[in-house]
Amino acid sequence: MADLKYVGISVQRKDAVDKVTGAAEFIDDRFLGPLLYVKMKKSTVAHGKIKKLDVSKATAHPGVKAVMTGKDYPNKIGLYLVDRDFVAVDKVRFYGEPVAIVAATSERAALEAVELIDVEYEELPGVFDPREGMKPGSVLIHEDLEAYERVPIFYPVPGTNISNHFKLRKGDVEKGFAEADLVIERDYYVPQMQHVPIETHKAAAQWSPGGKLTVWSTAQSPNVVRQLLAKAFELPMHNIRVISSYIGGGFGCKAGASLEGLVIPIAMKFPGYVAKIVFNREEDMQGTFMRQALYSTLKTGVRKDGRITALEYKMVWDGGAYTEYGVNIVRAAGYSSTGAYDIPNVKTDSYCVYTNNSIGGPVRGFGMCEMQWGIERQIEEIAKELKIDPLEVRLINGMKEGSTTAAGQVVHHVAYDKCLKTVADKIGWGKKEGKFRGKGIAGLVKCPAQPSNAASSAIIRINEDGSAHVMIGATEMGQGMLTAISQIAAEGLNIPVEKIDIKVPDTDFTPYEWQSVGSRVTYTCGTAVKRAAADALGQIYTVAANLLEVPKEDLSFDGKVVYSTKDKNIKATIREVADSCKKCTGEGIAGPIIGRGSFVPTNMTNLDPETGQGNPGLFYCFGATAVEVEVDPETGVITVLQLASSIDAGKAVNPQLCHAQLHGGAIMGLSTALYEEVKFDKGIMLNRNFTDYKIAAIDNTPHLDSFIIETPEENGPYGARGIGEQPMIGVAPAIANAVCDALDIDVNTFPLTPERVWQAIKAKK
Amino acid sequence: MTKKITINFSVNGDRETREAVVGQTLLKFIREELHLSGTKEGCEIGECGACTVLLDGKPVNSCLVLAVELDGKELVTIEGLSKNGELDRLQQAFVEKFAFQCGYCTPGMIMSAKALLDRNSDPTDEDINVALSGNLCRCGAYQEIREAIKASAKK
Amino acid sequence: MLSYDYVKCSDLKQAFDVLKTNEHALPLAGGTDLMVGMRGGKFTPRLLVDIKGLEELKVLKEDDAGITIGAAVTLNQIALFEPIVRHAAPLAEGAHSVGSYPIRNRATLAGNLCNASPAADTAAPLYSLGAVIKLIGPNQERSMPIEEFFLGPGKTALQKGELVRSILIPKPYPAGKGVYMKASRTGSVDLSTVGVAVQNWDGKVRIAVGAVAPTPVRALAVEKAINEGGEKDWAKAAKLVHDDISPITDLRGSREYRYHIAEVLVRRGLEQTVGV
Repeated sequence: MADLKYVGISVQRKDAVDKVTGAAEFIDDRFLGPLLYVKMKKSTVAHGKIKKLDVSKATAHPGVKAVMTGKDYPNKIGLYLVDRDFVAVDKVRFYGEPVAIVAATSERAALEAVELIDVEYEELPGVFDPREGMKPGSVLIHEDLEAYERVPIFYPVPGTNISNHFKLRKGDVEKGFAEADLVIERDYYVPQMQHVPIETHKAAAQWSPGGKLTVWSTAQSPNVVRQLLAKAFELPMHNIRVISSYIGGGFGCKAGASLEGLVIPIAMKFPGYVAKIVFNREEDMQGTFMRQALYSTLKTGVRKDGRITALEYKMVWDGGAYTEYGVNIVRAAGYSSTGAYDIPNVKTDSYCVYTNNSIGGPVRGFGMCEMQWGIERQIEEIAKELKIDPLEVRLINGMKEGSTTAAGQVVHHVAYDKCLKTVADKIGWGKKEGKFRGKGIAGLVKCPAQPSNAASSAIIRINEDGSAHVMIGATEMGQGMLTAISQIAAEGLNIPVEKIDIKVPDTDFTPYEWQSVGSRVTYTCGTAVKRAAADALGQIYTVAANLLEVPKEDLSFDGKVVYSTKDKNIKATIREVADSCKKCTGEGIAGPIIGRGSFVPTNMTNLDPETGQGNPGLFYCFGATAVEVEVDPETGVITVLQLASSIDAGKAVNPQLCHAQLHGGAIMGLSTALYEEVKFDKGIMLNRNFTDYKIAAIDNTPHLDSFIIETPEENGPYGARGIGEQPMIGVAPAIANAVCDALDIDVNTFPLTPERVWQAIKAKK
Repeated sequence: MTKKITINFSVNGDRETREAVVGQTLLKFIREELHLSGTKEGCEIGECGACTVLLDGKPVNSCLVLAVELDGKELVTIEGLSKNGELDRLQQAFVEKFAFQCGYCTPGMIMSAKALLDRNSDPTDEDINVALSGNLCRCGAYQEIREAIKASAKK
Repeated sequence: MLSYDYVKCSDLKQAFDVLKTNEHALPLAGGTDLMVGMRGGKFTPRLLVDIKGLEELKVLKEDDAGITIGAAVTLNQIALFEPIVRHAAPLAEGAHSVGSYPIRNRATLAGNLCNASPAADTAAPLYSLGAVIKLIGPNQERSMPIEEFFLGPGKTALQKGELVRSILIPKPYPAGKGVYMKASRTGSVDLSTVGVAVQNWDGKVRIAVGAVAPTPVRALAVEKAINEGGEKDWAKAAKLVHDDISPITDLRGSREYRYHIAEVLVRRGLEQTVGV
């Protein structure tokens, strides 16, 4: 590849000055127009029929404009499975589910009116453990599951609470186990955790008298919001405008569509008003997506030499009350169920089960943190039994160029061994440092979980002075999308990054982007932008060739001047080309330069419904985490002494932003490894605030080392892959592995709170 | 019945007289009455620090202060740091060190950091940890934040 | 949602007069517990009486009586006050461990005590220092040892219309090291799972434990073994704390873990104070 000018440089973030001055507009900083404050009446039971719902006193309360109930939201919503009610209709399925919506002219009036709503429930038996929920004879949470519309790649089991059963059969596991010298089978449990973005979920809607709906939302994916709302409210898409702002943290919690729908009937009833809903922290923690809990049984067969011959994984996921999104996490974990390892014989059954716990949904890693926990823990057991170094077991079985995944997809451009060795070296792998100190390592891999035809598009408008506007549908939630995408555009146009304007999307103006999820945007949107830049540059050359009367192939562009490589005196300024180019005699040659590009994957396929075989991955991104810890055996307190992360980014479009993801993912991983666990009691989230749901603070953060490896991804823009989720995946198992190395104990779950570590030490004695 | 009290205060160097509604928090007052949207709401119980402002030079969680308590005090918000369109040294350091990601915790983080540097011009990592442990950053920019503060101190 | 009124007081007499006018009045100092409690419906005042500005309550001084900490003095002021750092280390450490720096700029010692959580990080230290709390009402003033102030979770000896005036760390100060050891889930901003204060009084110990009973408690069985029985095996002595505490299981820890951690922290506290 020729030397790059803008890609590969840690250019200053496009949103930097806005963010450090407080000028960056988040959704709640924006509104004009008379406001209606929207608050929810929330259910106080986890599973129950609504026997009585009397909103008359609330409706009559001064300041209240309207009270809506389930019947005002005639359709369900869902991205992969249309199972979700905006507001409960006839029954509630989780604690905190909205049963009525109040809109008032002041926040206070809305809150007071909520208290005046009279609800009575007939409690139904609740399901809180998916292993119970999947048994025949369990009370059903969605009696009409079979009738729900769904994307056909999901397989509910009729008459049960199983909303998706993903099956994978690769090779012959019976034969594989028979070849093994050692068979290990263990159960693992990963609890729910919550994304806890510092900005909670917020949305607003306004209906114009002319019949146009404007929606503001913290959603990561405005195009999907528009699509789902168009369907649910039976509106044509060109009359729905979804406007993004900077997003104060996503991590998957703001994927798909969630609370936008609540405000739409209100907006439609009161044209001109902006109906706004803001979830407070408690509502955000209990009432929006959280990571699904996973109960799993993992069995591996291994030869004496460390080679894994067979893997059998049964995964039962706590999907919560609605699994419109969760069904896909279950699928993704299923087709990825060998983690970073090349295993010839695999049998996986991954079940998404309804419970009356909070709604399960996408969280950074999309099932990989939960599923790869078991694998990275079991490798330690394999290593221990066979007396082989755990790093060595990973190197023996790790994927390489040409390996196949659990789904049988061939992987390319793999440097997993390098990822492992880099972090192992950093922490001094192999050297035992002292009593109560231990070292652990874990690998990771993830491909974007997306439909096989999930698309991106981009438009680039060249201004008269040669500066440019890049228009895309991806959102900025801190990952640095605006900056990296600008760099790709700059590289393709050969104009400086400072001359590029880029904004967060507004669906009336910006072109389609499937979703900003799955660590896909750099690759997919990046490719669309690269194509749009090439298209724009091509037009510049076509117009200049006409103006200068030279062949197009002779031309080059230095950002300011288009010139002939054969004779530098034959040139035109970009303004002469882009500002409605005309001949010297006055006739116009061409109007404005507008470049366009779009991208849809061509290497992904459907998966066989019985065997799960196919190509689900757009690309695979590998990495590793190594950790050294010291444990206080009396208190169980873990101190992380060193944490090193590596990622094979293909090409780091902006190295500092890559390091930021490595650090950010490490800290989130560390936080879930040590502190985070949703505590449910019959569906009630007991710890739904920062007092009792603790996340890592600055004084919990050790020094972090991060390494970017670059094995180019052949079809990625400039060789780049997406890396946003991956840095979190290996952290919890690496820490657990280090703790178990330090104390010679065993754990099959996390967080490793001081108490849990102490219990494990006690159990060993 | 919502009682109002007249309060006199300064905000970012400007003297102001306003009517404050009893019961409204300083956070809401800053955003809805003073129309300064840089200060953010994250939890309403003083745990996340997104609402941190300086009250008489001291960092406080504005979600736990009543607007009426602003009477007679000096308030500084994130908007008060840059002068004449020029970034404050600390803000510039945050830019250069990539000490933020989504930016939502950033105003509160910078205010806490500013207060730290005002009382300790050469803070250690430990000093920074103590000063900023009440400012949560879920994106995990803590390491960069420490580096930005130290870089800003050294200039 | 209740409406409430607010009055900023300029002197104590005015404060008492205003408190008398409304039976649902609550004093407001830092507000870091009160505001959270009001949001959650735990407190429903009709009137907030702001007492932070009262000169009588802003006192922070050392004199012949000892160290006087007025009710409006904040936890940051306490953690940095040189006489407290030097002579009342458990209190300096306990105050420093509450919440975060911005919280400690508002939260007061008196507020931490009046909120009367059994886990209050300033309470066990004050027990270990033999502190005295001074209450003031419209017609009388009274003092009591701090241990008599706590009656149960959220309950204190304050009578209607009374305010805390100050807390006294009396002279003579303890000769010897004192520590406050806090076990929590994260080691960062967190409530105590268990908090232990140990103060060396010239060879004798005073130990108090928080978050293990309806109020903070003295570890009298441990103290007796050391002070009267001459026990020098700190591990053996620490085991006796089981007799002094009655922890429960809650979101922050199990009963079993609390018994264990209390013993560990008491032993470590002894090693770091009388053990040197």
